[in-house]
Amino acid sequence: MPDRVSVRVPDPGSAVRAAVSEDGTTSRERFLQRAVVAGGALVAGGVIIGGLPRLAASAQSPEQDVEIFNFALLLEYTQAAFYAETVERAELTGELFEFAKVVATHERAHVDYLLEALGAEARAEPVTDFGNATTDPDAFGAAAVTLEDVAVAAYNGQAANLTKGALQAAATIISVDARHAAWVRSIIGEPPAADAVDAPLTAEEATAQLDETGFLQEERR
Amino acid sequence: MTLRDFTDLPLDDLDRDGALRQAADELERTSRAGFLATVAGGVATAAALVRSPAAAAALAKSDVAILNYALTLEYLQDAFYTEAERKGALEGPAAELAQVVGAVERAHVKALRDVLGKQAVKRPFFDFRGVTEDPAPFTRTAVAFEDLGTAAYKGQAHRIKSPEVLAAAVGIHSVEARHAAWIRYIAGAPPAAEPFDAAKSVNETLQLVRATRFIVVRPRTRSRRRPRYTG
Repeated sequence: MPDRVSVRVPDPGSAVRAAVSEDGTTSRERFLQRAVVAGGALVAGGVIIGGLPRLAASAQSPEQDVEIFNFALLLEYTQAAFYAETVERAELTGELFEFAKVVATHERAHVDYLLEALGAEARAEPVTDFGNATTDPDAFGAAAVTLEDVAVAAYNGQAANLTKGALQAAATIISVDARHAAWVRSIIGEPPAADAVDAPLTAEEATAQLDETGFLQEERR
Repeated sequence: MTLRDFTDLPLDDLDRDGALRQAADELERTSRAGFLATVAGGVATAAALVRSPAAAAALAKSDVAILNYALTLEYLQDAFYTEAERKGALEGPAAELAQVVGAVERAHVKALRDVLGKQAVKRPFFDFRGVTEDPAPFTRTAVAFEDLGTAAYKGQAHRIKSPEVLAAAVGIHSVEARHAAWIRYIAGAPPAAEPFDAAKSVNETLQLVRATRFIVVRPRTRSRRRPRYTG
């Protein structure tokens, strides 16, 4: 039975690239949007995270897809670095370590997917400091739950702002992050699916939750 | 009885009340009309959708079709877990999953019916042929249902016009994925087997649903006449 409903890795390039194709005429407008959003993105921990999608929903556009995908890239970069460091330090054992090894490859694939889609528009990789969350089982479990839940909620919050092609591409990632969330929650004994509908987060809310982890140090320039 | 028992029964034989056929026909009709309409802005939440029972009148025809397609799949899941819980043959984590997921799928049915109002398709009749009473086939079927639900919502999300409906659909989509990972974890299968989850088209989805033969013709044992007094 599972072979009839198994998933296939989609062609990562074409759909996303088409969705976020260039339009040089709006670069000034985009710059202004960035400036406005960055001004509003100063959050409690003092880390300024640029490139946020505009917070008020509006008609979709390839330019807005770039903003949103760059925001997604920040989340995926953070996840990928988190699991890669966990695997490298190799201090976890058992189910949690197996989870980290598998999910590290997925998050790296998500980063590569977004990098290919964004091309020259891709943001820089953030500098991260995970403290003991990549070595201590309890800290790791809590951090993984937060990173995966926030990613799912952040993607869901942007669904209506993406163009149709970009939404199609993003949806292939969203459900995998949701699977990761349920998986690690199962391992640590938390409810894997606590709600009937996953609540979305705005970009601002997701950024605040990410900032609360203290994992992001600064933006690499 | 598993999804592997693939048979070529015509849809009408399994679906005389027409729920599946209606959903499929509507989707086909509206997809031909194209999806050029721009989705207007507005921050939408699933709660807003659930709280607006009169929303159906304002929905695009294609959104009604997609919601009825989703409702059909949710009916199937709802009936499956609810029956499993009532039969009481499951134990431990699988029993807990049936209870929690059953409640969630019933909530999905209710939310979709509230939004659709009179445009909601009727609940089909189901015969799970013992699958809800036997832990191993229950688990395998639940994995298939949740993977399928995830892929089916994913196949429609980009076609939804209403931002409110889209917000609810993506919120349900990720919950189905959580369920899939949860039951896979219980079953000892990889909760997330691939880095990307593929979508399934309406036809692929309905073909899989038909192949289960879980949706049946209305039971004929019922009589329209009142029973005669026999005392």
